[in-house]
Amino acid sequence: MTGPADRTGLERPRTGDRLAPLCILIVAPEPLAAAIAEEVARGVTDIAEVVCAADVAAACALVAAHPDRVVPLVLMTASPESTDTRIAVLDEQAVLRRASILLLTDRARHDDLSLAVDRDRLHAVITTPGSPGILAWHARAQTVRWLSVHRPADPRTRALVAADGRPVAQPESDLLRLLELDTQEVAIQLLAGVERVLGSRPRLLLPAGTRLIHEGVDVDAVLVVLRGRVALDHASAAGDLRLHHDSTGSVVGLLSLAQQQRAFFTARATTEVEVVHLSFEQLDRALAVDASLGAAMAAVSIRALAKRLRRADQLQVEKTQLNHVLERERRQLSEALHQLEQARLELVEQARYATLGELAAGIAHELNNPVAAMLRATTYVGEDLERVLASHPQGRLAGEIFAAERDRTPRSTREERAARRRLEAALGDTGLAQRLFDAGIEDPDRARVLAADPSSLDLVEAVAGIGSAVRNLEVASRRMCELVTSLRAYARPKGEPVAGIDVHAGLEDTLRLMAHRLHAVEVVRRYGDLPPIRCHPGELEQLWTNLLANALDALGDNRGGGGRIELITDTPDLRHVRVQIRDNGRGIDPHILPHVFEPRFTTKQGAVRYGLGLGLAIARRIVDAHGGTIDLRSEPGSTLVTLVLPVDGPPDDEDIET
Amino acid sequence: MRLALLILEDERSVREALRRDLAVFAGHVRIEEAEDVPTALEVIAEIDAAGDRLALVMADHRLPGTSGVDFLIDLATDERTLATRKVLVTGQADQSDTIRAINEAELDRYVAKPWQPEALRDMVRDQLTEFVVVAGLDPLPHLAVLDAERALCVVHERGDL
Repeated sequence: MTGPADRTGLERPRTGDRLAPLCILIVAPEPLAAAIAEEVARGVTDIAEVVCAADVAAACALVAAHPDRVVPLVLMTASPESTDTRIAVLDEQAVLRRASILLLTDRARHDDLSLAVDRDRLHAVITTPGSPGILAWHARAQTVRWLSVHRPADPRTRALVAADGRPVAQPESDLLRLLELDTQEVAIQLLAGVERVLGSRPRLLLPAGTRLIHEGVDVDAVLVVLRGRVALDHASAAGDLRLHHDSTGSVVGLLSLAQQQRAFFTARATTEVEVVHLSFEQLDRALAVDASLGAAMAAVSIRALAKRLRRADQLQVEKTQLNHVLERERRQLSEALHQLEQARLELVEQARYATLGELAAGIAHELNNPVAAMLRATTYVGEDLERVLASHPQGRLAGEIFAAERDRTPRSTREERAARRRLEAALGDTGLAQRLFDAGIEDPDRARVLAADPSSLDLVEAVAGIGSAVRNLEVASRRMCELVTSLRAYARPKGEPVAGIDVHAGLEDTLRLMAHRLHAVEVVRRYGDLPPIRCHPGELEQLWTNLLANALDALGDNRGGGGRIELITDTPDLRHVRVQIRDNGRGIDPHILPHVFEPRFTTKQGAVRYGLGLGLAIARRIVDAHGGTIDLRSEPGSTLVTLVLPVDGPPDDEDIET
Repeated sequence: MRLALLILEDERSVREALRRDLAVFAGHVRIEEAEDVPTALEVIAEIDAAGDRLALVMADHRLPGTSGVDFLIDLATDERTLATRKVLVTGQADQSDTIRAINEAELDRYVAKPWQPEALRDMVRDQLTEFVVVAGLDPLPHLAVLDAERALCVVHERGDL
């Protein structure tokens, strides 16, 4: 409630002056104010003077005019104006903000005190007219209480307040008086009272560990603990719980006795204790004979209850804190589980890849020999045919046609069509022209000679057919050879990093293996001069595959035309090579871009689907293991992945985890 | 007027193999080859200009920069090729592409690679016959490359020929 003014130096001379005059303020219309003032003055003549103000505005003016005065107490009568509002006006004065407020009212109900109560500004509500003297007594008690709180060092306070800190004005009731005593003292008073009735009771000395009451057993006596400590334990499913620790002064068994119930606790001495045993009947008789013992009994009970209640509150707070800790740990566990699951998925993917790699290696191995045999056989067929033709009457012509057809360089279908049209025009017979053209005859003169000689034409057609068959066989088996070689490079078993690896060769191997998917895509190569690098070649092939698959997926429906993948390589410095893969696909949504390297990140429903699953996570792992970096930038129409790999390969101490 | 057959295939060896397996038709049917879609469109224009009819297109599925299915779909709306029979010759069209070809290009046949030469020739003969029947052409000039029994049946049924 302290306002800014309290902290300013201006106020210090007033409140800092210990002997500043105390002033009790009455806010009430005359003549009521004078009557109240007179009555209040009777209670506080030795402490404070009493001044009156007709309303809150006047009260403020009065206070403002006498800045040296200290106001411990304001008594205000209810008025038609809202009491909350009037208190708010008073509170504008720093001096009044600290004063206790007593409301004098003759009304049966008030609905204008919510702020006052909420802000702890209401210290008493006094009904008027009341019994004579009440007001004086009340004003004095409140003033003394105010002084002991706000001005403990004031000599007047010291005169009014006892050395032990309690106000001189002791509570009049036994109960409140006893409640102000400490627990042990109340217990002693209770015991003294009981002994007055029952005569002296023996002190029982019990060693540590002695159970004083037993959980689950009916309680029919209490034990007044005069010395030592007692613990209250409760057996639960989770084991014994220590719920409470009482020390000297408690009356053990009281609460159970009060409820006529079985003990909820086992009370056990934790030190040597000195107790007095009082049976239910003895206690009952003492209370019946001396009614004043009731207050002591109640005080002991309330004290015990209050202590346990505080302990319960404290436990509640601890429980909440524990729950917070548990919740945090649960979240951490859940996160850890999630990460484990991702790791497992990645491992599964790795395993699948390894299996495919083994399969590929097996196929490559099995295909290698047949393909090599095929390639050789193709050559043999050609060589043998040339030998056969050497003995043929028209062998020279046939051999020439065969060799020409076998070695014919590819032309576009457009060029071929044009050449055929020329032949058709020259011969005038399209059917014949087509036959001759298919046999590799384009020269019109030669065509005319052959057309006139059907048996030679047959021979020419046959050897031309063999020629093109041999050429196609050779092309096909070479292509298979290359595929098998790529497959073997791809499926190379993982081991130590290999030096001298050509990055371009690896890229080309991967492109060859993915040719079936790249058919409709324009692949642009802009290869720079790269030094051979040290790396795990199989891992890099997997890397290129993942990145190319991603690029292809991003191209998606764009495959109808215009899809382009660029491969750009260069050396940013002497110790590194850089590979960039750019596609002109739809790009990655900026919202998901930061997450693409996370395991299992995938946008199955969205634009980019397949490869961003584990693909990029694995790519990143491979690049990391090689001591390189990977970076991905994307906008619609352009996604660029940049990899930088060290020429010297992975750091020696770091093996790739698979 | 000659019937024409177009082979759309980007791989030379496959083109040559198809051409050789279909050589028996060469004397009577104009066989044209194209390695990509632009060339194929030129060929179609040439056929049209010469007054010939494109009876059959055999297209590969995988083509540079496009797919055979898209080409066939375009043909289905081209006035010059409305009646043209459409065949997909492929090793790797997936299901959705094939469904699209059937629904949107009214695909007539699907030939898987590698093909059987005899079956291929039967298929071509059937399709050429179908073209002649559907286009309402006189089968007699083309009888050598048609299913003769069926073609003569048509001749018999239609008094106007």
